[in-house]
Amino acid sequence: MKGGIDFHTHPVLAREMVARHPELERAARETYFIGNNFQPLEVMLLEFDLCGIDKAVVVPVDASTSRNATVYTNDQIVEVCAMSDRLIGFASVDPHDPGAPEKLHHAVATLGLRGLKLSPAMQQFYADDPLAFPVYEKARAMGIPILFHAGMSWQPGSKLKYGHPLRFEDVAAAYPDLNIVLAHLAWPWVVDAVALALKYPNVHLDTSALYFDNPVDFLRYAMTQQVPLTVFERSLRKQLVFGSDNPRIETKAMAMAVRSLGLSAECLELVFRGNAERLLGGRV
Amino acid sequence: MIIRSHKIEVISRKEFEMIDLTPMVEQFLRECAVANGMVFVMTAHTTSSIVITEGVECLERDIPLHLERLAPKIPEPGTFGYYHNRILDFDGRLGFNAGDHLKSVLGGVSAMFAVENGELLKGSRQRVYFVEYDGPLARTVYLQAMGESAEAQA
Repeated sequence: MKGGIDFHTHPVLAREMVARHPELERAARETYFIGNNFQPLEVMLLEFDLCGIDKAVVVPVDASTSRNATVYTNDQIVEVCAMSDRLIGFASVDPHDPGAPEKLHHAVATLGLRGLKLSPAMQQFYADDPLAFPVYEKARAMGIPILFHAGMSWQPGSKLKYGHPLRFEDVAAAYPDLNIVLAHLAWPWVVDAVALALKYPNVHLDTSALYFDNPVDFLRYAMTQQVPLTVFERSLRKQLVFGSDNPRIETKAMAMAVRSLGLSAECLELVFRGNAERLLGGRV
Repeated sequence: MIIRSHKIEVISRKEFEMIDLTPMVEQFLRECAVANGMVFVMTAHTTSSIVITEGVECLERDIPLHLERLAPKIPEPGTFGYYHNRILDFDGRLGFNAGDHLKSVLGGVSAMFAVENGELLKGSRQRVYFVEYDGPLARTVYLQAMGESAEAQA
């Protein structure tokens, strides 16, 4: 069996990139808000080896308007991806920027990035605000998925109100052929996020949720008590993707948690590989 | 009196791993030219240890695994939990490695050797190890030697 794909990682601790671009230290500490030590990229890849992950999506966040900062530019994502063929780069654009659709076009058509990351909480916009729809239209036209931060947010100053799953319904309804992924199971609104995914086949959820206890116990709570596991196994097996949110949660820890839930081998194959492959257009 | 400090980096490649630091400590001792005195070894991390034990592969497996039994990463359901499993607002993430911190406490974070005639005073089977409980990670170990050079004592 092929190894898995981690659909949600941030390369913010990559020491090589901080050495080349010192401003990334502030981006990691103040904008992304993480206190862990910077590490050689090799360490991230060793961790993937340890837990059966072949490749990982690495994402930036363009918070130019809301924070006067980016957590990696699209060019920097290209640069880190050049360090390992195991990394799959996504773009980010600022929805407040009228030039965002064109920047997204450049990022995909010229830089070769494979999807779009948006964080309504960090970028301070509601997903159903018409200002963002030209960006969605561009993503749809280019056939790329959008990974949305949803649910609780960590950064000071990033408000939870932007992360409620129902703010994504207008997007899912307006663009049925645009694949969107709501990160973190949109916790704490897991039931709402599941309802959205049940109603809209273009809505996916990623597993990168951890807000108390430990990954195993937390995911058991969210995916067997907040919502029965059978919903994921029977109804959403093609709409659930493995994501860790590394380095907020180590990939190895999240992989162990997902594998401990009791999903069938067929379902785990979809969650760890098949669904991400399809979202990426089959090119992995 | 000579006092020399040095920082080394080791990269663990597994979740649990014991990395033999003895050659690096001996190399440092040669370079700093302390003939008689002491050398101190300390990990800079709180989910790792410095231990002295016999240098055999079986113990390299047994030691971290036994510490994991004493302080598991994820306790058996219904037994006990860790207060550290909470949002660390200064770190931007959840603390869920309390078991690894506890293993570090149990294993200890430092070791010290006497130095005589430029050699570590240790048993023939003793090695000094960095013990990883939360790898893979790049880790820092501090060394410090204090003492007299051979010339000073001549």
